[in-house]
Amino acid sequence: MTLAAEPHTYADYDELLEDYYERGWTDGLPVVPPTAEKVQRFLTLAGLEPDEILGSVPTRAVVVTAEHAAINAVMAGCRPEYFPAVVAAVRAHLDEMGNCHSTTGTLSGAVQTVIINGPVRNEWGVASGQGCLGPGFRPNATIGRALRLVIRNVCRAIPGFLDRASFSSPMRYSFCFAENEEASDWVPLHVQRGFAAEQSTVTVASFMNFVPATDMTSRTCVDIANSIVKTMRSKGIGGDKWLGQDHNVVAIVGKEHHRYFIEEGWSKADLQHYLWERIHEPTSGPDDRFCNIGYPEGILVVAAGGAGMAETWLLMPHLAHAITRVIEPAQL
Amino acid sequence: MAIIGLDPSSGPIGGGDTKLLAPRPNSLSGQVLGLVANGLGRGEDMLDAIARNLMATDDLAGVVKVVKGSVSIAPHPDDWARLTEGATVAITGFGG
Repeated sequence: MTLAAEPHTYADYDELLEDYYERGWTDGLPVVPPTAEKVQRFLTLAGLEPDEILGSVPTRAVVVTAEHAAINAVMAGCRPEYFPAVVAAVRAHLDEMGNCHSTTGTLSGAVQTVIINGPVRNEWGVASGQGCLGPGFRPNATIGRALRLVIRNVCRAIPGFLDRASFSSPMRYSFCFAENEEASDWVPLHVQRGFAAEQSTVTVASFMNFVPATDMTSRTCVDIANSIVKTMRSKGIGGDKWLGQDHNVVAIVGKEHHRYFIEEGWSKADLQHYLWERIHEPTSGPDDRFCNIGYPEGILVVAAGGAGMAETWLLMPHLAHAITRVIEPAQL
Repeated sequence: MAIIGLDPSSGPIGGGDTKLLAPRPNSLSGQVLGLVANGLGRGEDMLDAIARNLMATDDLAGVVKVVKGSVSIAPHPDDWARLTEGATVAITGFGG
């Protein structure tokens, strides 16, 4: 297997690390040295040739190959078996309607989240419960980081260059978690989006605001759902001619809220319809805004998180659709 | 022990030496001003006001205005052609 990337020779790991940092090839954290042997192992396991094109960024004259993704996945600290998820995430990110030029160049510092569904969650131990949005879980940390390194190193979203974010976000180091599919009989996100339950998928969603709908006092589904509606409408979702009606908002329903929906027999679809009908009602003022989601399933409801806080986290979208792609099984 | 690492990037930032800043004229006199409105907020009103002021003070030869069809993507290719073929200097806004 012949690789196209230029090799650089160093006396030791410390020298490599300093040079990679100086060249702008890291996110500021240490990286795993991307040796040819490791990169080839990742590609072999995924059944990909190095020059396989995963997508492009036409406005930046950038073409992203499997080799690019593998090098950055190694650097991010991924285990080899995670690489098919990184490939799927890169493909999703580069989907035309993922609008990657806008979502990674924006002043707003929009964040890309990777939501994992299907069997690989349990095979790899992708966190979906207690603390799942934070540090401490290798697949969550490294798959999300790998996508961000591709965005930086290959797609050239470098702060002050093509990344024009005023503040950016710590969530841009990595943002990856799984849906807790075992928490209830709710239909998993990927099945709602047309994939088989036995398939594994990533859903990449770019968001501008990460907002908690915290409600510790409500004791009914309707009251909790109304709190979620109120939070969504406090931010609003504008329209965009090119994106049309397929905007998405992600609602990560926490365990304490989720159990009320289960106890009262609300399905995921019931919640989606309830929310959707109310986010389109007439506005009552500047802090109560219309949310332009074209249909109920455009509200991506995901069960996750641990016990304690009664809240649902909302990922209010940037100018993109959420894109779901299959994780092709590894060639073990 | 020596270690060999691979370049993780897609090439030099900014395309190396092949992409340079556009030349900056010393004066706007006789220039055709390009305006690219991104459609956010009152950006178009602001660009129109800038153009009116420059027309009054700097002897511009004309104005080519493009209003993007969507806030989230680049101008339509026809608008790009109109802009790049007609304008000699340009102002654009970004952000909201």
